[in-house]
Amino acid sequence: MNHSRPIFIPVILGTPRQGRLSEHVANFMVDEVAKRGGVETELIDVRKVLLATDNAGQDIKDSQFSGTVNRADALILVAPEYNHGYPGLLKHLLDTNLKEYIHKAVGICGVSAGPFGGTRVIENLLPVLRELGLVCIFWDGNFSTVQKTFDGSGKLLEQAYIRRLDKFLKELTWMAKVLRNGRENVSLA
Amino acid sequence: MFPWPKFNEWRLYMPEQRKKMKCSECGVEMNYHADKLDFAAGLEDPNAIDPDFGGIVEECHACRECGKTVTRRVT
Repeated sequence: MNHSRPIFIPVILGTPRQGRLSEHVANFMVDEVAKRGGVETELIDVRKVLLATDNAGQDIKDSQFSGTVNRADALILVAPEYNHGYPGLLKHLLDTNLKEYIHKAVGICGVSAGPFGGTRVIENLLPVLRELGLVCIFWDGNFSTVQKTFDGSGKLLEQAYIRRLDKFLKELTWMAKVLRNGRENVSLA
Repeated sequence: MFPWPKFNEWRLYMPEQRKKMKCSECGVEMNYHADKLDFAAGLEDPNAIDPDFGGIVEECHACRECGKTVTRRVT
């Protein structure tokens, strides 16, 4: 294993909706990941990955997105809860890859205007992520009443999230390192 | 009747005996770390479907140096 290579954890902003408050969450997560030594990150905005809507799956793979996922050691999904489910465009994007995800870690940040912090979108995503070959961590980011958690400019108003997300990111980084070691050194046979 | 493999022919069926993959970027030997079943790929190439699994089994390999991952079909 090449220890000099930083762990790479991109953040996927999973909604294209106008006025999306999940954008504040995604930017916050990118900032928190970037503070950590030996870890690189970048924001992937579903709005900017231009996918066909008259087809689906790996046929419409976006080479830049695939390259980023292939390089990634872990993913952070920022997913608002829409009618108890995940945004359709997030699923559309995730479905364009398969092998790129195998044995990589994933953590989910659920976002909701209500009090439950996207718990239902997180639960609904778990079987999807498992089938994609991703390994889910047991810490979640639960952003409840997101309209009160950030101000209009995206500044965090509730400082408890820093400690909560520290636990999340420690677990995700640990899992990313362990799985990288496994992918690169532990044979299936 | 099933053509039972003769002595030593079993190794031909064992994945670990297949040729190791080398990274196209670094040239180093890659690690075979997973098998993934792809059902959708079988729709395009039905002849490649492994009847025991109902889809196409692909080996996943990762480079120890650069982390690049690649796959190859088992069937």
